[in-house]
Amino acid sequence: MPPVVIRDLSDTSGYWAAIWTMCPMPDVHVICDAPVGCFNLVGTAVPDYTDAIPHIENLTPATMTEQEVGGKGTADKVKWTYENLAATGVLDNKHVIVVSTAESEMIGSDHSSLVRQLGVGTRFYYSNSLAEDEWAGRDRVLRWLWSEYGEPHANEITTIPTAVNIIGPTYGCFNAPSELTEITRMIEGAGGTINMVYPYETTLSETPRLAAAAVNVVLYKEFGTGLANELGKPVLYSPFGMQDSVAFVRQLGQLLGTSDKAEAFIRREKRTTLQAVWDLWRGPQGDWFGTIDIGVVAGLSHAEGIVRFLGDELGMKVAFASARPRRPGDYDNEAIRQHIHKRAPSFIFGTMNERIYLRESGAKYTNFVPAGFPGPGVRRAVGTPYMGYRGCVYLAQEIMNRLYDGLLNFLPVDGAYANQRANAAGTPTPTSDSNQGNLPWNSEARAILDKELEKLPYLPRISASRQLQMAIEGIARQRNASEVTVELVELGLAQNRQG
Amino acid sequence: MADIIPLANSATSQSQPCKLHPQSMCPAFGSLRVLTRIEGSHPVMATDTGCLYGLTFVTHFYGASKSILAPQLGTAELMSGQVVEGTRAAIEVAAKEPGVRLIPVVSLCVAETAGMPEELLPRKIGDAEVVLVRVPAYAIHSHPEAKDIAVAALLNRLAEREGAVHEKSVVLLGEVFPADPLLIDAVLRRMGVTETIFLPGRSLDDFRRAGRAGALAPLHPFYKESMNVARTWGMPIVGGAPVGISGTYAWLKSLGSILGLDPVLVQQVADEEREKATALVAARPLSGKVMVTGYEGTELAYARMLVEAGAEVPYVSTSIGQDPLVLPDELWLKAHGTKEVIYRKALEEDIAAIDRYHPDLVFGTTPLASAAKERGIPAMYFTNQLASRPFFLMGGMAATIDFVASVLTKGDKYRWMQEFFAD
Repeated sequence: MPPVVIRDLSDTSGYWAAIWTMCPMPDVHVICDAPVGCFNLVGTAVPDYTDAIPHIENLTPATMTEQEVGGKGTADKVKWTYENLAATGVLDNKHVIVVSTAESEMIGSDHSSLVRQLGVGTRFYYSNSLAEDEWAGRDRVLRWLWSEYGEPHANEITTIPTAVNIIGPTYGCFNAPSELTEITRMIEGAGGTINMVYPYETTLSETPRLAAAAVNVVLYKEFGTGLANELGKPVLYSPFGMQDSVAFVRQLGQLLGTSDKAEAFIRREKRTTLQAVWDLWRGPQGDWFGTIDIGVVAGLSHAEGIVRFLGDELGMKVAFASARPRRPGDYDNEAIRQHIHKRAPSFIFGTMNERIYLRESGAKYTNFVPAGFPGPGVRRAVGTPYMGYRGCVYLAQEIMNRLYDGLLNFLPVDGAYANQRANAAGTPTPTSDSNQGNLPWNSEARAILDKELEKLPYLPRISASRQLQMAIEGIARQRNASEVTVELVELGLAQNRQG
Repeated sequence: MADIIPLANSATSQSQPCKLHPQSMCPAFGSLRVLTRIEGSHPVMATDTGCLYGLTFVTHFYGASKSILAPQLGTAELMSGQVVEGTRAAIEVAAKEPGVRLIPVVSLCVAETAGMPEELLPRKIGDAEVVLVRVPAYAIHSHPEAKDIAVAALLNRLAEREGAVHEKSVVLLGEVFPADPLLIDAVLRRMGVTETIFLPGRSLDDFRRAGRAGALAPLHPFYKESMNVARTWGMPIVGGAPVGISGTYAWLKSLGSILGLDPVLVQQVADEEREKATALVAARPLSGKVMVTGYEGTELAYARMLVEAGAEVPYVSTSIGQDPLVLPDELWLKAHGTKEVIYRKALEEDIAAIDRYHPDLVFGTTPLASAAKERGIPAMYFTNQLASRPFFLMGGMAATIDFVASVLTKGDKYRWMQEFFAD
């Protein structure tokens, strides 16, 4: 098989999955069998910008150096780290887990017997980081936590009829605080009570209590189904869009025996929260929905959900949608990049990677809306969900405000102010003659401009058309041309792309 | 004098905590930052997926908006010896980018462990140079030092040595704020320097031109490999850096004498700079106790400037190792009241220092800055806030100490915030 080449990786490894799943629980301390970089990136440099936290405090590296890699092995370093950590007292009443990394796996470190010599209860988790991606990794570590810390102690736990678990988020899950808040609100609206939010809002010691829930809601389809299935209760997935939100609440009501509450909540939401979507639909905003095309690159839940609401329900055109992990037929980053370079849709819901491809292609008329990782962002406010009822309103609102922004940026402003600024700065500007007539365009030149404008999203096209035409004619005048030729159009378009 | 200055931390070493949480950005990041910012450079990273995700994340935040390629290296590829084959395939893809002139192959932990024989990689593909940069995090230890490895690799490959040396030109080595090269160039030209080349920057040609410069002046103290490259060429090296009052004065004089500039002119410019800097400090002296503890490798120079400006800096720590290049700054600091200078530092050492010295202001890593803020002490991430401002000569000194002075006035805000969240 020819080698696989990756462009701008969107998914991290099983090691990251393990750290980001275990460490939200405050009674865990993880020792990672890692070089300094694997400790810094996963514990500080990246969660600074994905989760907006200063750093993960319950993570310590058994810092691997040339010596350990060069034949000594990492066992002594892990032992030293454990003992010195224990001496500081931070391991008191903690579950200690030693986690492997790609590099420790590379040199064959296996600490499953070593951990038995360390404090009672210390366990080794092999993160299988050279083979497993973050999605399979998170799914497997959740199952492992249940089998090691939950299931053996869950015999006495009885099911509470209206109790619901939310499985996920972990660190590094896009928009987690808002999604969690909305799904919690919907579960309670349907008549349920939250049993556990695992692992985000619980402790490892409480793991056996997972068995008490009557229903498990998997927050992100990308991972967590494995644990939900092992718990042996009905499983629901968090919904996007209006119809799926209704179906979710209805189904939950039926499963919990709280259908009256659920139906009342559905009616109330339609009259309250969702009223905004109905108002936008009937107002001038709704007219634009059908003119908008979108590209989506996000985790599986968000990729499917954004298409469900914006495409299926509001009628926006979906130029492409690619989920992480990729479904059969989904674009890889190479194909996404080529699509964006060729014709960028008016909205991209995506990651840092799509931002870069947009900048490469000079697609300044495309709106970028964050929809997944990688990419820095602060998403700690709980009022910006993409999921559920409130997600519908937030997404529709976000799109309209971006459109207004674009419109306001392209409406003409009197050129005299720019001249005044330039004069104040001492840079001579070509005097813009507002009375100048249009120059004639030869038909080939016209065709090239039209083709370029066709590529632009609908709304900015109108202003861009005038702007580009004037810029190109300005170049023609500077060169004393009597008509606009192919050469001049191409020059003007090239300058526009750079500017 | 030297014999009474303790070089080891003999007074405090007994009480130093264990180095459990080393503080460095992933070392390899330093090389990626340098390599992605060069125009026409399209890096290929040879590594596992977790590393690739993390390093591209920080590179896309701190380096450049540049697409990055990598061979897929999972268990199958690593164990069956397909590292080189995959890397070559990625190089082929990179070679198709418009305007490609350089394809750095950044070889990281797992690829280095599996083996990446340089002779099996192409040296050139089309018009693009293929340059191997080996930066396994387990062996490099800090990200400043990885910048040096990248620069040295590029100088080795690209620097042009044929033709006459431009005797009055100088290569200035170190990533600096965009305004710094303009300030430094202007002052050096007044002394008779004909050309300044700042590395590492955006231009690949600067690496080519560097080979015929009259001298190399590292602005930061961790460019050891790059200096070795210059030494093999017989290119003289200017020590120190144009930082603060005394540092700038000494550096200008030393650079002038190494380049053989007119001593009268050099003295005049050096005096002027010293007068301006002295006047600046006299007009706006700092007062307060500041801890300087980043992981950029430049911490000692910052500490020295702050001390000259009137601050008390009892504790300085950095991610780089102890080295003759930093020794002059360490000696200077210890002679001016600094009690501890820690190399390859760990979080627990820095936190213990906060509780030992009760500073008015802390510059450090994000974990340390948050620990200081939890104590109600003004604190900032060294990398984002201090290392991203003009720093050199009088102009840089003004920008940096004004910033520090403004943060020193904000103690109330930090105390209020801490008290608000305390209960």
